[in-house]
Amino acid sequence: MILEAKDLNYYYQDGESRRFVLKNTNVSFDKGKFYTILGQSGSGKTTLLSLLSAMDTPHNGEVVFDGKNILEIGHDNYRRNKVGIIFQSYNLIPTFTAVENVLISMSITENELPDNHKTVAYNLLDYIGISQDKANRTVNKLSGGEQQRVAIARALSTNVELILADEPTGNLDEEMEQEIIDIFKKLAHEHEKCVIMVTHSNDIAEQSDQTFYLKKGVLNTNE
Amino acid sequence: MNFFKRGLLSITRRKGKSLILLAVLFILGNVIAGAISISQATANVEESIKERLGTGATLELDYEALDSMEESEMMNLEIPNLGEDLINQIGELPYVKYYDYNTTAFLASEEIESYNPMMEEAEGEVEMEGMGPQFQLKGVNYAPLLDIEEGKSELVDGRVFTDEEIENGTPVAIISKKLADLNNLQVGDTFSLSNEIYEYSESGEEEVLDSRDVPLEVIGIFEPKTVNSDTENPEEFDYMDMDFQNTIYVANELVSQEMEFSVGDMPEYEDYYVPFFVLNEPEDAEAFEEEVSPLLPDLFIVRHASDSYDSIASPIESMSNLSKYVLIASVITTILIIGLVVLLFLRDRKRELGIYLSLGESRMRVVGQIITEVLIISIIGMTLSLFTGNLLAQTVSDSLIDNDNNQSEEEIYYTEMQTDLTTEDVIDAYEVNLTGDFILLFYAVGIITILLSTVIPLIYIIRLNPKKIMM
Repeated sequence: MILEAKDLNYYYQDGESRRFVLKNTNVSFDKGKFYTILGQSGSGKTTLLSLLSAMDTPHNGEVVFDGKNILEIGHDNYRRNKVGIIFQSYNLIPTFTAVENVLISMSITENELPDNHKTVAYNLLDYIGISQDKANRTVNKLSGGEQQRVAIARALSTNVELILADEPTGNLDEEMEQEIIDIFKKLAHEHEKCVIMVTHSNDIAEQSDQTFYLKKGVLNTNE
Repeated sequence: MNFFKRGLLSITRRKGKSLILLAVLFILGNVIAGAISISQATANVEESIKERLGTGATLELDYEALDSMEESEMMNLEIPNLGEDLINQIGELPYVKYYDYNTTAFLASEEIESYNPMMEEAEGEVEMEGMGPQFQLKGVNYAPLLDIEEGKSELVDGRVFTDEEIENGTPVAIISKKLADLNNLQVGDTFSLSNEIYEYSESGEEEVLDSRDVPLEVIGIFEPKTVNSDTENPEEFDYMDMDFQNTIYVANELVSQEMEFSVGDMPEYEDYYVPFFVLNEPEDAEAFEEEVSPLLPDLFIVRHASDSYDSIASPIESMSNLSKYVLIASVITTILIIGLVVLLFLRDRKRELGIYLSLGESRMRVVGQIITEVLIISIIGMTLSLFTGNLLAQTVSDSLIDNDNNQSEEEIYYTEMQTDLTTEDVIDAYEVNLTGDFILLFYAVGIITILLSTVIPLIYIIRLNPKKIMM
């Protein structure tokens, strides 16, 4: 088990009452598997992902990475060295090239990486399907699918075992969506990564190793 | 790619915004550089002029206090005399390098001619009738002569007094070279002055009641050095020069004897001395004044040679004040404008900043990147404005000096402490230069201003929540 959520609660205070987004959520994830968290808009999927990625802090409960509470690891440290995050809107720096976007995350992490960062970044982008020519273009000159590939390369570049993806195919066409899902399956099954993807698509969920259903803040293994 | 390299890349990749920031910094940098240039130049003028004014100090009546007195107060006022004891007591203070005190008498002579530049020009055709005594007998107590020690005069022949001559009032004198040449006097020669007591009739005619000869032996000949003739007021210069050339240095004791003869039986007569102290360092002035003031009789104050700086340096002073206000205003404006411009640019880059934070970058490094970017552009802008600001300062100060100088009448200020410096000298000493001190000060003020201007934008970064930006 690489990641575990224990009794997670997250709510919004509305005067005297609390509106729960996540209620007593318990879930665990293993390496080498591709997970999907399925739910409708407003079901709390993104909130759960923000807690698992240490972008936010639960009101109760804890997130444990490799047996250690991520509060002890430190949120910045956790994001820097333990997890790669992929967003729906890619979140790449538009004035930088694709390879520079990957290099930025390689310069921020403290994980041990091969010395020649640039070569590694080009190789990684090539593996994900971005040629060197495209890697040298500023990212706003790439298509949506290509930008999402760059975002995946950036998440992988820090040599982490955990990949969290927040509806990464939401802005892509079906063909491109399938290519991205194939990459995630490959990462999980061939490279022993733990890939957790939030989606509202049943088609994608069907391709994952395990699906969790999130409804009104409650997480279940059954629909 | 560390945060420094990211900062460099950001500058080159956002050329438009970098150029806007550079332009704003260049304009504000010019104002700051100009203000610092003027401020430094005026400070240099003050330093050099005060140095030229010397470290002299005297004790004199507080004329401002006298002017503000009621008439009835004035009627009952008894102005005390500064006795020799008090002058000697002050002269022994550790701040004093050497000192002297003088008493003066004006005597006539039938034997020698007084120097008169106007007569010289008219080739001796002008008669000097009705001018009264033309020779200033200046008593001294300091044997080596303070005017010579201070460089106001140069001994061109003979010697100065001995302590015995001063103490005994020996009839020996030091006269000016022009007076000596005019009367064919040389060291060792003797000449006579005449101490005459006049009585004036109601019709204004004068009658000599009594007189006696004052024979003096020339022991030294001096040439005044400080009164220069390159003034635009030749007549005033002539009068000053005439006074100096007709000054005859003798011992205080001798002047005292002649004054006693002049006043006859007047029982209340006391010698009136004007003291002059030369301090060790200009910085001693304040401590000297603090220590001396409590010792002085009422209505007496300490006046320093450097006090006359304020009266001759009004165009420079007003420019100095103006430059200080401009500097303060421009620093505040820079902090506000750069702060707002950087904040606006950062709001545009909110997503980029969120990306760094989501990747786990520490907020301090993100802050470091932004400071790096602003500082690099600032240093380029400041370096450009360093030169243009200096030129601007030169142009602005020239026109300010012209304005100020045209408004005030051209005057020569000739104080009791024999300063021949004029407003023109002060303006001549004013020079806007690109000195090392100026460059250092400009960069220090500029960088501190820029760092202060980034405080608000940096608070914005520290408060950023990556979840709200990214998800």
